[in-house]
Amino acid sequence: MSKELTYWLALAHTPKIQIKKKNEIIVQLYEKGKTIIDFFELGSSEWKNTYDLTLSEITFLDEAKKVLSNYAFMVEDLLEQGYQIIPITSQDYSPTLKKNLGKTYAPPVIYTKGNLKIMKEKSIAIVGSRIANDISLEFTDNVAKKASKDYKVVVSGFAKGVDKQALDSAIKYKGQSIIVLPQGITTFQSGFKKYYKQIIEGDVLVLSSFHPKAPWSVQLAMARNPIIYGLASEIYVAESSDKGGTWSGVMDGLRKERSIYIRKSNPNEKNANNLLILKGGKAVDLEGNIIEYKINEEKNLIASEPNLCSKLELSSHIENKIIELLKTDFFSAKKIIEILKIDWSTRKISDFLKSRQDILTMKGKPLKFTHQSAYNPLQKSLFD
Amino acid sequence: MTKQEAEIRLKNTFGFDHFYDEQWETIDLLFKGRRVLLIEKTGFGKSLCFQFPATQFQGLTVIFSPLIALMRDQVKGLNEKGIKAKYINSEQTPEENSQTIQDALNGRLKILYIAPERQENQEWIEATRKMNLSMIVIDEAHTISVWGHDFRPAFRRIINLVKLLPQNLPVLATTATATKRVQEDIEKQISGNIQTIRGELIRENFRLYVIKVQSEDEKLLWLAENLPELEGNGLIYTGTRVNTEIYSRWFEYLGIGTTEYNAGLDSDSRKEIENGLMNNEWKAVVSTNALGMGIDKSDIRFIIHTQIPASPIHYYQEIGRAGRDGKPTKLILFYNLTKDENGIEEDYKLPKAFIDGGRPSIKNYNKVINVLKQEQLGERQIMKATNLKSTQVKVIKADLIEQGIIKEVLFGKSKKYEYQFNAPELNTKTFDELREQKLKELSSMIEYVNTRNSRMKFLCDYLGDKSHNHYQNCDNTSLTPFVLNIKETTKQKLSDFRESYFPTLHTAPKTSKTINEKKYYITLDNENNVVLGQEGEKEYCFESIDILKTKIDKLPAEKQHQFLLLINNHLSKEKLLNGVASSYYGVSSVGAALHRSKYENGGDFPDFLLKLTLKAFRKKYGQEKFDLIVYVPPTESGDLVKNFAEKLSQVLKIPISHRLIKTGETQPQKVFKNGYLKKDNVAQKFSYSEPSELAGKSVILFDDIFDSGATIKEIGNVLTKFGVTKIAPLVIARTVGGDI
Repeated sequence: MSKELTYWLALAHTPKIQIKKKNEIIVQLYEKGKTIIDFFELGSSEWKNTYDLTLSEITFLDEAKKVLSNYAFMVEDLLEQGYQIIPITSQDYSPTLKKNLGKTYAPPVIYTKGNLKIMKEKSIAIVGSRIANDISLEFTDNVAKKASKDYKVVVSGFAKGVDKQALDSAIKYKGQSIIVLPQGITTFQSGFKKYYKQIIEGDVLVLSSFHPKAPWSVQLAMARNPIIYGLASEIYVAESSDKGGTWSGVMDGLRKERSIYIRKSNPNEKNANNLLILKGGKAVDLEGNIIEYKINEEKNLIASEPNLCSKLELSSHIENKIIELLKTDFFSAKKIIEILKIDWSTRKISDFLKSRQDILTMKGKPLKFTHQSAYNPLQKSLFD
Repeated sequence: MTKQEAEIRLKNTFGFDHFYDEQWETIDLLFKGRRVLLIEKTGFGKSLCFQFPATQFQGLTVIFSPLIALMRDQVKGLNEKGIKAKYINSEQTPEENSQTIQDALNGRLKILYIAPERQENQEWIEATRKMNLSMIVIDEAHTISVWGHDFRPAFRRIINLVKLLPQNLPVLATTATATKRVQEDIEKQISGNIQTIRGELIRENFRLYVIKVQSEDEKLLWLAENLPELEGNGLIYTGTRVNTEIYSRWFEYLGIGTTEYNAGLDSDSRKEIENGLMNNEWKAVVSTNALGMGIDKSDIRFIIHTQIPASPIHYYQEIGRAGRDGKPTKLILFYNLTKDENGIEEDYKLPKAFIDGGRPSIKNYNKVINVLKQEQLGERQIMKATNLKSTQVKVIKADLIEQGIIKEVLFGKSKKYEYQFNAPELNTKTFDELREQKLKELSSMIEYVNTRNSRMKFLCDYLGDKSHNHYQNCDNTSLTPFVLNIKETTKQKLSDFRESYFPTLHTAPKTSKTINEKKYYITLDNENNVVLGQEGEKEYCFESIDILKTKIDKLPAEKQHQFLLLINNHLSKEKLLNGVASSYYGVSSVGAALHRSKYENGGDFPDFLLKLTLKAFRKKYGQEKFDLIVYVPPTESGDLVKNFAEKLSQVLKIPISHRLIKTGETQPQKVFKNGYLKKDNVAQKFSYSEPSELAGKSVILFDDIFDSGATIKEIGNVLTKFGVTKIAPLVIARTVGGDI
């Protein structure tokens, strides 16, 4: 494998080609029993014909091919310094991440340092605001404690607030953690120093999906969130406002039918936790235990979020949600209702979707729909 | 490109008409993007096999070479031919190296030579992300194999790199010396369908001799009588660094023009000697085997080894540097076959000791592993935490990295070592195997000494050259052996030399300051003259600081001011002169006599030591006046030092003081295996009970043994604080690399 790593980095960091396209290439290679080296040895015509690459994509790949030796130097340096480079085809790659993000979003290469087996364990992510209140931090501590006791790994993003609490608590209760970096893995020196013992004892794994030299940035911090959600089997939300990373991450997760547990907030707290419960998150108490969600609470809950309530009433809102959902995969009308928890009839959904040109219909019983951007006729066994 | 086309270009660029068949075979493979291992003897023209294709490729060719001298020579040669080549190594300033990296990045270079250690340098690694690379060359490729005779851990990273390089990037590995086993190891490591091209190893112009002697003195004596008679100029390889000094002082004493060279010299001195060697300035350069590898001098007429190398491969490699012009060349090997009380031949001991000492004990490996399990540490911190010598820490570190137990990680600019999660257990089996292999190679070297057949055939067979040549030209075949027939007068000269040669103790402080972006320094030379120098440039010598000051008067005001600051800064430091020892500890009867007195209840130091020490004192300090003798208060050897100092005081008629005292417990310095801990051991541990009497005095500071110099420096500090004007260190023996 190691001699392929040079090529993996070249593919992973070629700009202007979507992750999805990169993963499709990988799937094709996988199915044909070919290696990534074989792929880079092909000419532009084969790239175009066999792998369906556009002219611009081919240009960028050609550039990547020219700098393969440069990637070799980088790979050597990374391995020498104890970083692991894990392509998506590797046995070490997190199966949870691959399953949750699928070929559209799963990064073709991840960089890690520490105990790789942690990625194979059951895991939870605890997410929330950088400026969380004390209740949220207490909740985080409780959930991390329970997870550690149940041998579940705590995934967090190494931001202030909830992230930091999740990590500290997991360490405190002798559990295992994954730190998901909002930066390249080589720029985390202070963290490697701080968590040295936990790393060498196998309790902490540091993971980054970005270029190893990339410095911290807001964009990377945002792009890091789906990786956190992707690495976890369950997601606990300590505190979310009605916008920003946590909000969009949870919304995305709900669309993908992830198990998301939201701390039910008290009436006097100013956050959007309860709204997220309304949107399909499972309500949990301060200890992280599931609590009965009472429909008659809805009014009160929403009453504390008046402006969001009105957003909910926008007529196009549900339509948008349906389209967004269909960008991820095929769904039947019944499934759409289930996932989005909307009060439309299957008929109404079918009529709406058939009226749109960007929606593809797959014959069969029941009919399934998808957005054209998600359509790919090949079986992707790598991700199944 | 066809051979004909290539040869037209060869003529234009390099001035040669043709390639040898094996040269073209190699070059042709490289043009096809292949990996090649080329094993050819010195002088074959291996360099052309990468230099020529490098000029034809579009991008940059990077040559990893462990030989700085070779880089320098080849770059000069290439530049003269109008080919853009540069090198990066420790000999250049960081600015020069950075400039070279920039040139490589900007496509202004065709060929870049680089030391393998650079693969650990972050600036270089960063730059490699953007270079347009066409070919990678590994010169002296035997150094990548632990089974080779000169394994270098730094090459481990180069091998890892080569494994990761794209398959169609040409890679050339070259060496002059590889046994079948080393060849297979290199092939395996470089992998990727490598093709090996191997040539013949016979050197027909070589005249091989072995001279068996009964003592170390006989080597010195034979050389005294025969060195001047040897034709041309050459090299004398001694087994140790200190022997380069002793042999070269001996030749100096005899009036034979030689100079000494070893890895301890600064790069300017090394360059100067290498240039002098090229111009035949000396009959011989006396050197450790650090000199000569890669020096492009075709007429080295003789190479003499005063100690046997570790194996026949080492020997073939080292003598391979001679006689590249094809003219008759003498290769002489000394062997002292006197047996000690255990029946072991004297000259077997040194290489055997290198094998025994080459690998630290398992306990020490575990010490390093255990401290690294606690926290990340740098090399110096490991030394402090484990009390291990720097050389040991280096070996252990390299082995642990090799076995994947620790990794070297960069923190900003400093390197730290990290224990790895799930690290394997220390594998000691390979250590045992390597040791066995080395002992076997050493036995083969002894076989070479004792063989009665052709020596060249012995070497070629050993190196796996199966060709059927007619082997002649050694003292077992067609040549008359050398005989020892030493004159009495020569023996007398050696005895006189022994009583007049005293090693210097480098104790004087060195003060540096950057003035107008140039680094200047003040220190003392061996004769205790004041030296003002510019780093990497010339040194100027003055009899005293006052004379130096008068010279500075003529400078412009601002510069003058800066130099005055440097001078004042220097004057504020400890007033230590460079001291003197009556002998090295291990190379004469002096060490044995000291050991008897100190550790075997042998009573006071014997009188011959007093005589010798006084001689050393007078030679070094001549007519200088001193007010007081102080001695280092004892740690464990009772009054030996005090009694000896009293005798010195009586003979020299200089009053003795007993007032230098210890203010805290110290351990014997020999307990500590590295300089950092030795320094810590004595820091703040000395004082003087009547400080007022020291003001304005010049003092002799006496001790029995000088090791790291940490004690002398610490006391120098204390005495200077109390106002002494001059401190002259005097000891009976100076150790060589911790040999007590």
